[in-house]
Amino acid sequence: MNEKEIKFIGKITAGVTHEVNNVLASIREISGLMTDILSITDETSFPRKEKFQISLQKIQNQVQRGIKLTCQLNKFSHLSDTNKTDVDLNEIIEHLIFLTERFARIKNITLQNRPSTQSITITSDPFLLQMSLFNAVSYLLNRMDNGCEISICPDKNGSQCSVSIICKGELLDKTSIFKDSSSSEELLSLHSIMESLNGVYELDESNTAIIIKI
Amino acid sequence: MYKLDNIRVLIVDDEEELAATIAERLEIRGIQAQTASDADSALGLIKTDPPDVVVLDLMMPGIGGLGILKQINLLEKKIPVILLTGYSSKERSIEGMNLGAFDYVLKPCQLDDLISKIQEAAKIK
Repeated sequence: MNEKEIKFIGKITAGVTHEVNNVLASIREISGLMTDILSITDETSFPRKEKFQISLQKIQNQVQRGIKLTCQLNKFSHLSDTNKTDVDLNEIIEHLIFLTERFARIKNITLQNRPSTQSITITSDPFLLQMSLFNAVSYLLNRMDNGCEISICPDKNGSQCSVSIICKGELLDKTSIFKDSSSSEELLSLHSIMESLNGVYELDESNTAIIIKI
Repeated sequence: MYKLDNIRVLIVDDEEELAATIAERLEIRGIQAQTASDADSALGLIKTDPPDVVVLDLMMPGIGGLGILKQINLLEKKIPVILLTGYSSKERSIEGMNLGAFDYVLKPCQLDDLISKIQEAAKIK
């Protein structure tokens, strides 16, 4: 995808998430109004009042879930606003966890965010950086067995920043996690992104990890 | 549920149903609330019947929320304005605060948070 296409998708997604947010805000207020009205309504004049209150609470909980999802999707859409900006690695990894959580859950794999205690800011393309992390996590997700754990750990050593994506648990193919690495779509994509970002990645067989250095 | 005595609020949002519902919820709590869905009707209401507080959506068609805020600032009577901002309006919220807005809340907001800010804004008026 070229820059113009990425920006087009970002712009459309940002616009739609803004509208969805308004829909969710309306549902929240309307269900809130119903709750308000119920709270000032006499129990005897409203049979099964409590059941209605519980149902309204369930609607509000689901709206809250929708707001969280929409907020993250909106954040994702704005990654393509600029191709060079200051990126907080802890923040982008927190966002990555949201983007990959569903894929991990389906495979019964746990994602662990291990943020750095220090703030690590780099100047980079946020969209490509997120895509590189996503590709690395996807590669590992597709090769790890049920019940595994993947930890994502940013670090800074002098001017070198890195993100280590480390697996713990059984491999689907017991021989090696990097057996088909040269033909893997995720790693080919990661390789090309790293070239654009002037970064590199390493496959660490002994620790079952991918290390991205930027 | 607590009652809030005689604070008069104008909610300005082009999402009419949302504005009307928030207004109704505020009314239940004793706040007198009116709504406007565009810049002209909002500024008309502010001039003819000035509220104590204006709750203003930043993403308004036409001159936008910031344009409306600038017009409110030109009026003789100072009216505190609380901005309703979206996910990606951080810069505009800051611009709004620099233009003298009282505060801002992220949309969709918790009603209790909005009420607290309305109360604070009404106090400093």
